[in-house]
Amino acid sequence: MAEMKKLLIDAAAIARECDRCGNCTTVCPLYGEIDIESSAARGKNNLTLGLAAGVVKASPALLKAANFCLLCRTCAENCPTKVRTDEVMIALRQHLTDELGGLTAKYRMLGTIMKTRPLVKLAAFSMAVMRFLHINRFVPRGLVPNENRRSSFTAAYAGPALLGQPVVPWESTIAHDSRVAYFHGCGMDMMFPDAAGSSIKLLEKTAPGKIQDLANKCCGLIHLAHGMRNDFIDLAKENIRLYENTDIIVTDCASCSSTLKHTAQYFEDDPEWRDRAEEFSSKVMDITEYLTRAGYRPQQREGVRLTFHEPCHLGRGQGLRSQPRELLKSAGEYVEMTGADVCCGGSGSFHLDYPEVSERMLEKKRGNIEKTGAAIVVTECPACLARMQKASRDSNGKFIAMHISQVI
Amino acid sequence: MITEEIKNKLRAIVGSEYVLDSEIDRFGYSYDSSFVQFSESNQPDVIVRPANTKEVSAVMSLASSMGIPVTARGTSSGRTGGSIPVSGGIALSLTRMDKIIEFDERNMMVTVGPGMRTMELYNHCAEKGLFYPPDPASWKYSTIGGNIAENAGGMRAVKYGVTNNYVMGLEVVLADGSVIRTGGKAIKNVTGYNLTQLFVGSEGTLGIVTEIVLRLIPMPAARNTMQLMFPDIEQACGTIHAMLQSGLVPAAAELMDHTSIQAVARHRSLNIDPAIGACVIIEIDGEDDAALQKQASGIEETARRFSAIEVRTAANQAESDDIWSIRRGLSSAVGAMAPNRFGEDISVPRDAFPDMVRRIRDISEKYSLTIAVYGHAGDGNLHPSVLCDMSNPEHAGKVHTAIGEIFDAALQVGGTLSGEHGIGITKRSYTEKALGTAGIEAHKAIKAALDPKGILNPGKIWEQPVKEGN
Ligand SMILES: Cc1cc2nc3c(=O)[nH]c(=O)nc-3n(C[C@H](O)[C@H](O)[C@H](O)COP(=O)(O)OP(=O)(O)OC[C@H]3O[C@@H](n4cnc5c(N)ncnc54)[C@H](O)[C@@H]3O)c2cc1C
Ligand code: SF4
Ligand code: SF4
Repeated sequence: MAEMKKLLIDAAAIARECDRCGNCTTVCPLYGEIDIESSAARGKNNLTLGLAAGVVKASPALLKAANFCLLCRTCAENCPTKVRTDEVMIALRQHLTDELGGLTAKYRMLGTIMKTRPLVKLAAFSMAVMRFLHINRFVPRGLVPNENRRSSFTAAYAGPALLGQPVVPWESTIAHDSRVAYFHGCGMDMMFPDAAGSSIKLLEKTAPGKIQDLANKCCGLIHLAHGMRNDFIDLAKENIRLYENTDIIVTDCASCSSTLKHTAQYFEDDPEWRDRAEEFSSKVMDITEYLTRAGYRPQQREGVRLTFHEPCHLGRGQGLRSQPRELLKSAGEYVEMTGADVCCGGSGSFHLDYPEVSERMLEKKRGNIEKTGAAIVVTECPACLARMQKASRDSNGKFIAMHISQVI
Repeated sequence: MITEEIKNKLRAIVGSEYVLDSEIDRFGYSYDSSFVQFSESNQPDVIVRPANTKEVSAVMSLASSMGIPVTARGTSSGRTGGSIPVSGGIALSLTRMDKIIEFDERNMMVTVGPGMRTMELYNHCAEKGLFYPPDPASWKYSTIGGNIAENAGGMRAVKYGVTNNYVMGLEVVLADGSVIRTGGKAIKNVTGYNLTQLFVGSEGTLGIVTEIVLRLIPMPAARNTMQLMFPDIEQACGTIHAMLQSGLVPAAAELMDHTSIQAVARHRSLNIDPAIGACVIIEIDGEDDAALQKQASGIEETARRFSAIEVRTAANQAESDDIWSIRRGLSSAVGAMAPNRFGEDISVPRDAFPDMVRRIRDISEKYSLTIAVYGHAGDGNLHPSVLCDMSNPEHAGKVHTAIGEIFDAALQVGGTLSGEHGIGITKRSYTEKALGTAGIEAHKAIKAALDPKGILNPGKIWEQPVKEGN
């Protein structure tokens, strides 16, 4: 038998913790749509074990099954043995990409763009260029047309609510001389520049004139998730170096903050980088986490009804659940929607690979948003936000979608 | 081999979306929650997912005419390989038949499809103030059909019995595709043989259950949970006996030994006093809080007599849930202790429980294998889990001998091989010992009468020459 590759050995070691009980079939959003064995975590973990045991062959069909996963961790959170199926799938995708050779052109192109900062910037400035490169097809739909702007939010909803009242002093648990940096998420820059701008303004309020804005690289999630691990490692190293003189790295993209926090685990076996990666990951904060720790409260409470779509990478990925909600409660009339933490189906490029399933998931989400009667659905990840905008269009404008930085 | 022509016929019956035959899918339907090794020969040729009795019947008559093996499947949470299609053929997945067909509040009965999940059924009834008591630890994901086929038990068996105590009637598709109804809503019913109970626990070898009539009881108004800690198993068992004898019947009495307790401790990063040798989790229910109080103080008093180290009564629902989550997560926690785990499911007369545990401990020492023991102390059903590493040749050599001795011990104290998980394939080599030759012959005669071609879940319950499909 051919020597088993380390990635597969590692993946199988995690998958072996699976008790095959099937609890994940009751929670996996994909099983909710397509209720066959390969959809949920039990099927995926056992395919991995089957491959390791030589009963399942490495094949494009297997890769397809591995790609049919939102990496949303709903299974892991509910699993009696807490099997990290998302990590198993990331490793399996990489292993199969290496084995089968040939990354699909689409992921390669997307990976290249995200790896090259100027291209991201270019994309942000010019839709025409994106069309020319044909990348608009690969970036979440609902791309450029209609980002809702913070200014229009303030104009529409600013009421006399709290205006003119004394501002309560912030109680910050962040050392006041911390060097704080804003980490640019590619998705935020490309699709939601107004929201990114709002985030920087918020950070400025907590540390006026002191926010570092370094030319960071992509967090590498897209590379990691789609079999481009080497690119992920390269990007991570550049970012680690870049932030050596920073104490806190804040990002307004839940996928970035989650990936950056988990970056250290990919350097565990690398004595040269392990400690640096560890330190780097420990500096990362999501913007809602940072603002909460900095004691920030929205300066004015609007009379508008808000609801929150919890990104997978925020709640399950980082355990940040109360922070965004508390901020929203002080920003408007907050209503929790049913299934706020259920994946919207936007995960990476999942909705491009599996449009129908993703569409059905979004339909459910839209129904839940509409039931709250909220005027705005707020979220904190560009991929989710793009999906929420799509939901907003599908609802014929019953609600609009905004990034949390634009409303608090 | 199933030809393309047959597959097309199957597609015509259930719709092509519901016939799966890719390599990935065939693998996905080749295992269950027992740790039978993956094997190509356990893969079905095709997975068929019917939506109703008519479709099941059409699939069966086709299979019967072609001699194709058919293995029914709920959600494959079975622990003994029951749903593994060891002879290939058709894996008949019944999860689409998951609806409540009728809810008869006046007669307190519910008719459901086999694919409904146990907990969903429970919740549905609970909303109407009615109680479906059988609660296998797997109730969140197991199906009622699977529960019927394995005669699943649960924690509440000590007071409320197991699945068969609630089954009033069934609709069953026989091997040749004909459809029969057994039993019904009449509480007294002696017309003909009691076929209902013949199908309960038959592991899909006699027919495909397509509809189930279950009786319900009023939901107890009040419920609470207690946790008792003892220095060792003897006192724990003593407490349970004394309770039952004095008429204090708890709704559940779950026992865990030292190894199991430490498994939970490790799994949940808790610190549990190593002096604690046994833990009993008790559910009490009754018409009001006063009734609960009375039971709780009776239990506490009994436990203290048997030198309980700690007696805790849950103060609220959250505490209750917390205590129960320990028990529900136990199987997984124990499984996480070693690369391989052989979980058994023996059942002994209630008073033999401590003796049985002692015998298991001796076996554990004799073979130097860790064996965690937990189970439903109230009804004598225990789950010894042999923890080992099968990649270690030293372990591999002796595990099965040790398990064989556990079964022997169970039979010696007047018990049996399986209390609730069934025989499937993992325990079939021991069946003859438990049932005797004449007993096996009687089984074979029933099987031959109902399934003359031997196409229904072949290879299960006892060892038999596997018939080739053609
Ligand atoms: C963590 C864990 C804990 C468990 N705890 C318990 C417990 O406390 N008590 C207990 O009793 N069991 C327990 N089990 C075992 C298992 O959950 C039960 O045996 C359950 O009844 C199986 O249901 P299923 O839907 O998964 O059936 P499957 O595993 O899919 O099938 C089981 C058997 O039923 C047959 N079958 C399924 N549906 C039909 C049908 N409609 N008609 C005819 N035959 C059919 C199959 O052919 C097979 O032989 C546990 C399992 C796990 C993983
Ligand atoms: S819930 Fe966890 S242990 Fe159970 S089958 Fe799914 S992944 Fe495996
Ligand atoms: S990570 Fe999400 S999509 Fe993937 S198996 Fe788990 S629950 Fe399903």
